[in-house]
Amino acid sequence: MRTLLVWLAGGLSLVGSSQAALASGWNMPVGVTDLSREIYNLHMVIFWICVVIGVAVFGVMFYSLIRHRHSKGAKAANFHENTTVEVIWTAVPLLILVGMAIPATATLQKIYDPSDAELDVMVTGQQWRWRYEYLGEDVAFNSNMSTPRAQIRGDEERGENYLLEVDEPLVLPINRKVRFLFTSDDVIHAWWVPDFAVKQDTIPGFISENWVRINEPGIYRGQCAELCGVDHAYMPIVVHAMEEDDFETWLVERQEMAAEEALGVDREWEMDELMERGEGVYGSICASCHQVEGQGSPPAFPALAGNEQMLADIDWHKDTIINGVSGTAMPSFRTTLNPVELAAVITYTRNAWGNDTGDAVQPAEIAERLER
Amino acid sequence: MWGVIKSVLAAFLGVQKEQQRREDFEKGNPMAFILVGIIMALLFVGLIALVATWAAG
Ligand code: HEC
Ligand SMILES: [Cu+2]
Repeated sequence: MRTLLVWLAGGLSLVGSSQAALASGWNMPVGVTDLSREIYNLHMVIFWICVVIGVAVFGVMFYSLIRHRHSKGAKAANFHENTTVEVIWTAVPLLILVGMAIPATATLQKIYDPSDAELDVMVTGQQWRWRYEYLGEDVAFNSNMSTPRAQIRGDEERGENYLLEVDEPLVLPINRKVRFLFTSDDVIHAWWVPDFAVKQDTIPGFISENWVRINEPGIYRGQCAELCGVDHAYMPIVVHAMEEDDFETWLVERQEMAAEEALGVDREWEMDELMERGEGVYGSICASCHQVEGQGSPPAFPALAGNEQMLADIDWHKDTIINGVSGTAMPSFRTTLNPVELAAVITYTRNAWGNDTGDAVQPAEIAERLER
Repeated sequence: MWGVIKSVLAAFLGVQKEQQRREDFEKGNPMAFILVGIIMALLFVGLIALVATWAAG
């Protein structure tokens, strides 16, 4: 009787402490989609099955060890082979495994069914940012980490969402099935948002699919989950899930912005405008390699401040940024940046940090160069 | 023949009577066990594929 009570108390405290662990955030999140809830429940069921088996097996083992110990005069039984017992301990795990596989397979099938989506978003991993493209909607943008480098170096106090904040979050409507098409421009990345229970590798040259239907508006954060280079930790994911009406408003706004940007290609830009725009682009895209002051970190990343070849040969400068340098870390920005951004960043790098060439590169000229 | 099939089934499960095992090794023909083993492995794969397509359908 006393032993039974001890076991009961032990079992209860185990349940209690695991309940505490759930609340503490050590467990996987329940998430905000039907599917994430399902995955969570599956995880918990299997977890408890493992706990029961673990307690039973170790319970019997320790009980036997203590009860039949040598000092109490226990004699070892010396028998060999018992087919019935062997069949039972083979069949029972088999049944348990099959029992777990059935609900797990049913959930997997749902995960792999992106049909009937109402919105398609192409997600492209790049060293080191995400690019989102709303297919058929003329909206596309890059999502760069916005945590200041000073916080990373430790010169400034860390913010609340340190390393988990971006300049442009992915915006999605709630209650709609959104299909993701994942790919990569360079190496394998992985798009991981725990609250959606979505973790998908993005592979260059391949397109993989996944989907979400978010139930609650909110801001959900994630990270790249595949080691992809030095700035792997600096390509977070932020998803802003909104009510459908708000999403429509946002989408129209973005479409108007895109149309305006397209018009901007044809007009003449002032030096000041280009420099201001260029500084922003440089800071979010180029500074991770060429450094904020253009000093680079030779020999890996050449300095752009006072770079003689670059300053002397403007055509080479433009082509290097548009096409990248194959076989090196310098990526092509042909698709990542639009003509205005390209013109602005070229102008900026030709005129910042004492590079006083006075060249104002016009977006129209870059657009023409991109056609070639 | 039935004896060979039973022994192969027991091998699939990983449990066999010691007495039967000794008999198989002393009197059995290895080729028979290998052939029946391969055929039954193929049947098993086919069965799993069938169940999977049925479950997915
Ligand atoms: C992932 C790191 C990385 C990023 C991001 C990057 N670069 Fe580079 N860049 C390089 C490397 C490495 C080279 C040297 C290539 C070589 O060996 O020829 C280079 C070369 C260059 C050159 C030629 C200079 C020279 O002396 O070879 C220019 C100009 C340049 N980058 C501009 C930019 C601009 C503008 C951006 C942002 C739009 C940018 N880079 C973003 C890594 C990067
Ligand atoms: Cu990555």
